[in-house]
Amino acid sequence: MRKRKFDLNALPAAAGNEIDDRLHAATPLRKLMNKVFPDHWSFLLGEVALWSFVILLLTGTFLTLFFDPSMEETVYNGSYTPLRGVSMSRAFASSLDISFDVRGGLFMRQMHHWAALLFVAGIIVHMFRTFFTGAFRKPRELNWIVGLLLFWIAIFEGLFGYSLPDDALSGTGLRIMNAIVLSIPVIGSWIAFAGFGSEFPGTEIIPRFYTLHILLLPALLVGLVTVHLVLLLLQKHAQWPGPGRTNYNVVGERMVPRYASKMGAFFLINFAVIAIMSGLFQINPIWIFGPYKAAVVSAGSQPDWYVMFLDGSARLFPAWEIRAFGYTLPPIFWPAVVLPGILTVLPMIYPFIEARRLKDRRVHNLLQRPRDVPNRTALGVMAIAFYVVLVLSGGNDIIADQFSISLNATTWAGRIGLLLGPPIAYWVTYRICLGLQQHDREVLVHGVETGIIRRLPDGRFMEVHQPLGPTDEHGHGQLEYAGWAVPKKMNRLGALVPTVKGFFFPVERPSRTPIGNGGRPVSTGPQGQRELEEAERPR
Amino acid sequence: MSTRSGRVPRGRARRRVGTVVRLIAALILAGGLYAAFAPGVYAEEDPQLSQAAKDGKAIFDNTCVSCHGRNAQGVTDRGPSLIGVGSASVEFQVTSGRMPLARQEAQAERKPPYWSDPEELDQNARLLGQYIQELGGGPQVPDGNLRAEGGNTLARGGELFRVNCSSCHAFSAGGGALSSGKFAPSMAAATDRQIYAAMLSGPQNMPVFGDNQLTPDEKREIITYIQNLKEDKDPGGWGLGRIGPVTEGLAIFVVGVVAVVFAALWIAGKS
Amino acid sequence: MSTIGSERSHTAGAGDTAHHSGGQPDIDVHDPSLSRFELVREGARRDGVEIVHYAPRFPIPGTKAERRIERTIALLFLLTGVAGLAFVVIFVAMRFAYTPGTNSAKLFTPLLGVTFGVALLTLGAGIIMWAKKLLPEEVAVEKRHLGGSPPDDKKIMGAQLGHIAEETAISRRPLLKGALLLGLAPVGVAAVVLPIAPLIKDPHGRGDPLLHTGFDPEYNNGNPVRLVREDGTGIRPDDVSAGGQMTVYPGIPHGATNFWADSPTLLIHLREADAAVARSNLARIPLNAPTPDNPDGGMWQNFIAYSKICTHLGCPASLYEQQTNRLLCPCHQSQFLITDNAKPIFGPATRRLPMLPITVDDDGFFVARSDYQVPIGPAFWERS
Repeated sequence: MRKRKFDLNALPAAAGNEIDDRLHAATPLRKLMNKVFPDHWSFLLGEVALWSFVILLLTGTFLTLFFDPSMEETVYNGSYTPLRGVSMSRAFASSLDISFDVRGGLFMRQMHHWAALLFVAGIIVHMFRTFFTGAFRKPRELNWIVGLLLFWIAIFEGLFGYSLPDDALSGTGLRIMNAIVLSIPVIGSWIAFAGFGSEFPGTEIIPRFYTLHILLLPALLVGLVTVHLVLLLLQKHAQWPGPGRTNYNVVGERMVPRYASKMGAFFLINFAVIAIMSGLFQINPIWIFGPYKAAVVSAGSQPDWYVMFLDGSARLFPAWEIRAFGYTLPPIFWPAVVLPGILTVLPMIYPFIEARRLKDRRVHNLLQRPRDVPNRTALGVMAIAFYVVLVLSGGNDIIADQFSISLNATTWAGRIGLLLGPPIAYWVTYRICLGLQQHDREVLVHGVETGIIRRLPDGRFMEVHQPLGPTDEHGHGQLEYAGWAVPKKMNRLGALVPTVKGFFFPVERPSRTPIGNGGRPVSTGPQGQRELEEAERPR
Repeated sequence: MSTRSGRVPRGRARRRVGTVVRLIAALILAGGLYAAFAPGVYAEEDPQLSQAAKDGKAIFDNTCVSCHGRNAQGVTDRGPSLIGVGSASVEFQVTSGRMPLARQEAQAERKPPYWSDPEELDQNARLLGQYIQELGGGPQVPDGNLRAEGGNTLARGGELFRVNCSSCHAFSAGGGALSSGKFAPSMAAATDRQIYAAMLSGPQNMPVFGDNQLTPDEKREIITYIQNLKEDKDPGGWGLGRIGPVTEGLAIFVVGVVAVVFAALWIAGKS
Repeated sequence: MSTIGSERSHTAGAGDTAHHSGGQPDIDVHDPSLSRFELVREGARRDGVEIVHYAPRFPIPGTKAERRIERTIALLFLLTGVAGLAFVVIFVAMRFAYTPGTNSAKLFTPLLGVTFGVALLTLGAGIIMWAKKLLPEEVAVEKRHLGGSPPDDKKIMGAQLGHIAEETAISRRPLLKGALLLGLAPVGVAAVVLPIAPLIKDPHGRGDPLLHTGFDPEYNNGNPVRLVREDGTGIRPDDVSAGGQMTVYPGIPHGATNFWADSPTLLIHLREADAAVARSNLARIPLNAPTPDNPDGGMWQNFIAYSKICTHLGCPASLYEQQTNRLLCPCHQSQFLITDNAKPIFGPATRRLPMLPITVDDDGFFVARSDYQVPIGPAFWERS
């Protein structure tokens, strides 16, 4: 027997060969690793949601090991003395056990809850980025719809999770859900009884929500997230316009190692933020709320923030009930069933509405600056205004109490604000967009304000402008607007003080030349005079 | 009108400077004195007052008479009659600084008491209470320890608190809004005696919880629960004011989203 | 945002290999003179990716600046270790059992959060610094194909799909089409019915629960149901002071549990003057109004009882203001006027709180004369 020489250095290559012989993976793997991703901070917002979701899966799995989703009555006998001897459901008792008798359980519970809040927040900011930059346009309409579905599923996933511990707050929420379902015309009471298994609360709803919360909806979320990401890979990420960037390419970094390591690090940082928040900020102290009892309620009862807009709409909607032919259409049907329906459908068809309105059938891989599409931007801000008024109204009793305002006044403020706020927001945003556009064009034509004041031979004063590129005989710049940021300060041009690199502190020394070699100041002869007149001409 | 006709006019004479209020108070005091003397029937000194009550009456005539009238019979639109409210009510209103009232508004608020020295405050509140008690009787806060002992005190107190108190004062005892600018106050600064007195007397819009409804023992259990709740440090970090989802939602945006966006800016920044 | 153009000029000397434009023929990857990077670039090119700029962050290795960054990253990774170790020690060794008051057990979760968070944060920050400061900088351009597939492929796919239809010849065989549809329809119905049908319960089935509460004499062998405390004890008029209120439950087995979540009731003892107003208003609502054989109407002396379940969305409307006689629901701020048959006077609620007709039985305890005469709680379609 001859001992075979074992070459450690050749091992990776050999192993790689063996694997590839079986999987034929070299080419597709290389393709994946060479995928180019554009680099912009706003493209990372979706990752906030993605990584929060991963954290939710991790912490949630831990919680299922200890949670008992049963509405059977039991007497609490754990270590939290103020509730010892109180009768409660097993769901609530096991939630208390997780909080007080499982080592690290409270930390896990809090991470799960904070991650849920960050999950939906991440989805929303990502959605607004997509909307305001026009990233939903052809060919990405399908992914926009998938994203909206994810948003709504996430909200329901959160709502069901909030209902599981069976504390007084979540029980109150369940009761409201029951009432909302009851309000559906014709079949409301049938749906409510199908869901709850009996009149509210019954003993079925928490086990059923548990199945939805840990199995059905997560599976849906995982599936749709996969679709979302596969579509992203297939269609390649949209990018901002800029030199070298066209509708026909992606400029950025290859996925491995740069982009992937940054993504991994961003996951760690997301996890760190959630962990630190979970350590420092207490969330959902169910032991203070106590077990759900039908007669118990607390001042300042709210759902989690992402459902607060629906609670707000329920608070603001006037007492308009329709009764006819012996049937009733409760008022809550409009703000809690119809409104969410509209809010689901309208954004889903928006890409098609916009394309139709603009008769735009082209494929768009370059993003738009919000200012360049004032109509869409204003619509978006209008939607945000509408949403914010609803969210604030969802907490109007807290606002009234903390700031000593009349509760009734906050309700009326919400009602009026909901009608007036969005149109005002639209108008203001539209004007701001136009103003920003105008300023961009002005800088392109006249150059950057240098802050240097010249006195003309005839005694007048004028400011010297630094053109961005070659000028025509009038001293006007000839650069076209390229859909990307126009430098508006001298140090953006590398003059005076150059753009200093470094995020936390400068990593290079500013140059000492007062004006960089990018161009020369405009002359102040007759040309400058013309410029001055140009500026004074009414537009 | 009920005996507690303390319904406050809803007019918002809010930003009155203290001096103006005092001036008006003095004017009305003159009118009130006249009104008190005019009927003539109740104006006589009651000879059966104890020494403590007489001392209390002296304080009353000095600080309270302008609104509550001579012999505490009340002045229309100024202050209610105090006949029959008992010493519990006096103690609650005076020691929590609600009385004397600074100005007429939706509801009297806790403020630094009239007597800043706690011993003097306690002493005077008891004397005043004795006077009102001897005038017309009413609920009294018992002396001695107002906390309950025993195994399940906290659990029982908690259950009673959640059914009877939390609807207005919130689970956290931090208070909550009521209709039209009224509010259930935070219990953060409330002492045992004040909580007991409030339950007994039902100040302003708070319902009365008489001894037949919540026995003295049950009241003690509730007080024990509340004070324990206030003193109990949150096990999960800072409680965010124990306000619930509103501050939690605020925190996720102000801290969480800001932190991750900052990280995103750093990651994608050129350098 | 810096541009490709400027970065190119930055690295004019650094990466001469990086300036090949695309469109060259494939190189021989087995050529031993090729560097590793050239192979990588070739691979990228085959995937439609052009590496247009590639330059080390530190052209001269081992400078002071580079070593400083290395040290910083190393420090971050070491901090990860320290924080991680602290986390493990705290997690394993620290006492965390609940004790009232202020004590070290209350620091357990905060310490876990901070140590765990710092460990992850420093690890993440170290990796980011590594990627941003030490990895060579790169700009790659990937080609993107606009629109659909090449026309040839589209054509072939169309033919293929058409061919499949032709193969099955579904349009030519109407008998099969009809038979298949007829066969599938019941299966489809079964697929929908199977999961849903077992869930369906008639809301107006046994006892018609939406219309009845625990105060229905039916649940008390036909006798009027007492109003009781949570512990089941009855309530005498003396027990609630004037200006007071009490949450009461039906005096039947489990009456105070969540099984009877529709039954919690607020028993209010009005002050004399307010009670007079309330009594005079009773006549406005026929159901609450006094009748010849019941001169008190729904009230009993100065006592009045309303369902605690808000008619808006079912929260317990229990914020009773004893001077203004308003009842506020804390969930959506509906306000009801107690002295006028609990009329909604503010907020989203549209219906009055149902009044429980009460009286006092021979033993001196409050009983319900009958069940609520209208369904309690939030409205629904078939509620008239």
